[in-house]
Amino acid sequence: MLLSQNVKYTIRSIAYLLIGLVFITPLLWMVSTSFKYENQVFERPFVFVHWDQMNWANYKHILMDTAFPTWLWNSVFVVIISVALRLLLSALAGYAFGFLKFRYSDTIFLFFLTTMFIPYQLTLLPQFISFRFINLLDTHWALIIPNIVDILSIFLMRQFFLSFPKELVHAAYIEGSGIFRSFMKVALPLARTPLLTLGLLSFFMIWDQYYQPLIFLHSKEMYTIPIGLQSFQTQFGKQYALQMALACLAIIPVLAVFLALQKQFIESIVSSGLKG
Amino acid sequence: MEAVLKDKQKKKKSKSYSLEKLEQRAGLLFATPALIGFLLFVLIPMICVFLLSLFKVDLMSNTFEFKQFTYYEKMLHDSDFWKSVRNTLVYMVIYVPLTLVLGLGMALILNSKMRARGVVRTFFIIPYITTYVATLVVWNVFLHPTEGPVNTLLMSLGVNNPPQYMVDVDWALPMLAIIGSWKDVGYHCILFLAALQGVSKDYYEASSIDGANRFQRFKHITFPLISPTSFFLLLITMIGGLQAFYQMALLTKGGPAFSTTTMTYHIYRSAFEYYNFSYASAVGMFLFLLTLVFIMINWFAQKKWVFYQ
Repeated sequence: MLLSQNVKYTIRSIAYLLIGLVFITPLLWMVSTSFKYENQVFERPFVFVHWDQMNWANYKHILMDTAFPTWLWNSVFVVIISVALRLLLSALAGYAFGFLKFRYSDTIFLFFLTTMFIPYQLTLLPQFISFRFINLLDTHWALIIPNIVDILSIFLMRQFFLSFPKELVHAAYIEGSGIFRSFMKVALPLARTPLLTLGLLSFFMIWDQYYQPLIFLHSKEMYTIPIGLQSFQTQFGKQYALQMALACLAIIPVLAVFLALQKQFIESIVSSGLKG
Repeated sequence: MEAVLKDKQKKKKSKSYSLEKLEQRAGLLFATPALIGFLLFVLIPMICVFLLSLFKVDLMSNTFEFKQFTYYEKMLHDSDFWKSVRNTLVYMVIYVPLTLVLGLGMALILNSKMRARGVVRTFFIIPYITTYVATLVVWNVFLHPTEGPVNTLLMSLGVNNPPQYMVDVDWALPMLAIIGSWKDVGYHCILFLAALQGVSKDYYEASSIDGANRFQRFKHITFPLISPTSFFLLLITMIGGLQAFYQMALLTKGGPAFSTTTMTYHIYRSAFEYYNFSYASAVGMFLFLLTLVFIMINWFAQKKWVFYQ
């Protein structure tokens, strides 16, 4: 009885594992193909990896002879500056709307929320025209600036500071700290978890952005990874192994961050989905 | 004595009053960057989009000419526009239910007793976290009509005319919807899982005493208890479906024969290929209106099926 149950349990687990593998087949195929020579890409029978003749040349070519490293740097630059500024602004605004409060703050915040569902494709149209006027097109700031204000981020920080204990801040006041000092010394350190959560979520979202660089950037040396990938897709045409190696390289940074901070990442998704 | 106490109280009161005032002033100061940012990047652009749709814009000479509602009229008489609306709705009809059902199914798998749960969970989330464009580069080759591994496999299994996917008028849009689901479903899976884990075991024990079977248990206990999450996901998925863009831009360019030109792609093409910002803004306003309609419908429908504890 106990044994048969154990067997059932194991079989079920294996079945689920297989479902999971089928789900990521395209990505497994990507990894497999990235180590092949072009003439092996569509070989039959299919071999997952030719262990004896793995082809590292695809990776070497991309890292040494293409603009990929520049694009990687551009992406990292845009993402880090955007996330940092977004966190700063959201923390300040969250503290103001959730803790300090001011006249009409709740009404203003409600108004913020109603604009959350404006399609970004819509606001990008006038942004494009105004960036053109002030010569911001084809710079990284065109990507960074619109990312700084994010209503969802302000919302999440406000939620956190709504239930922030007043006594802690008041104790800091009594010790002689001003409002800004107590924000820096008391509130911010305790907001580490929601800030990390928000930072992770923003990192993944901004890393993925393709529409903004598509319309704002035109010189290749300014490209971020998503738009660079697209330009390679047309440039490499039928060199599929090379394309797959490129896709792998584009995924590695986010996958590394994800695997390292998986638990926090899952929590970040959950908290972003919880409505207050 | 009493007078002193009163005086003290008064002092305390006035002190806390002034503190409140100080906090309010600081609050306004703290919120200033957000308020300015909101004005510059949300409110003013939104007003500008509306104004853009009323003016003829010449980007070369930077001239604006008032045209009233001509662009809306043009839009409503444009068969391409209506095709893009239709394509968007078809995309949603496939994408929304597929993503929700798959997400729930995957969450139920992860919520059951199993070994290696962490590994399977990671597999389920990976598409969601990977760079979208990179996965599309992969799908592009994976579904290649003659050389791709999927069709090679199908042909070796004896299927003589496997589907042509992205180059077939009937297949392209559903394929893009399926790829969109595959990419996003990890998010749904995590949120559904969190909701399932929030359901107290007591309910299941009580129902099994009452002799409820699995399906009854799901229908009468699980489903109502996770309905707030389902509602939120339904809303998010519908909005995501309305705004889908990446697959069209990277895999099909709106083709073949306009079959995958959704509203967002129509906006993109009008603005950045034909430089007709006014027309694009008109379509954008319509998209925004449609988004509001969907939100309203959901809001009123939720009263019928969402159960708040």
